[in-house]
Amino acid sequence: MSVAPISAVVTSSVTPTAYVSSASPAGTAAAGATDGAFASTLASSVDSLQAMQANTDQLAVKAVTGNLSDVHDYTIAATESAVAMELTSTVRNRAVEAFNEIMRMQA
Amino acid sequence: MGTFGAIGIAGSALGTYRKWLDAVSDNLANVNTVRSTSETAFQARYIVAQANDSQGGDGGGVHVAGAAFGSAEGRIVYEPNNPLADADGNVRYPDIDMASQMTQLIMAQRGYQANAAVVDRAKELYTTALQIGRS
Repeated sequence: MSVAPISAVVTSSVTPTAYVSSASPAGTAAAGATDGAFASTLASSVDSLQAMQANTDQLAVKAVTGNLSDVHDYTIAATESAVAMELTSTVRNRAVEAFNEIMRMQA
Repeated sequence: MGTFGAIGIAGSALGTYRKWLDAVSDNLANVNTVRSTSETAFQARYIVAQANDSQGGDGGGVHVAGAAFGSAEGRIVYEPNNPLADADGNVRYPDIDMASQMTQLIMAQRGYQANAAVVDRAKELYTTALQIGRS
């Protein structure tokens, strides 16, 4: 029984798959864009939360200096910023939870 | 208004009812304001409430469009002992009905309370939404 010798692999004959070479960078870019979208959404919601709390602080200063015309303005602003704070922290916690879930994945 | 639409709308209503309360308070404070017949009487203040047009992108709610004033004639009362009385012994009282003002006071208070309840419920509602999926 004769064994055919292994012929050398001619590398030039192997063509890289067009799918991987072209799709890979595009896929990474797309993933990056999605990450950026979430990050920017979170960042903008943190910004708006900060603006809300700044408004609440201003109203609190008005309240103690006697310049507050409407009592409910302050209490409503305080309520809104408290709920917004809770919302932002919930979104952030869920994101971290999802990340941890992914990190725990095993093949 | 964004996320907290209901709270913002109820807040605008709270402002309107607060102003109504102010108007009623002013009317009650001046219910016995006497003037001489050569002057106009104290005119009752009334609040003109107007809906915020949601087509304008304001997202609903209400605002005070302005104030309306009651009769400038008032009531002519015969009080010869009053230092402001004219030659015929008449003075001018404002044309304010105290019972009507007290009724409006209750309406303003109840309206304010209702909208404060809306704020509370809306906050409760948003908090419930945040509890979804929380183990």
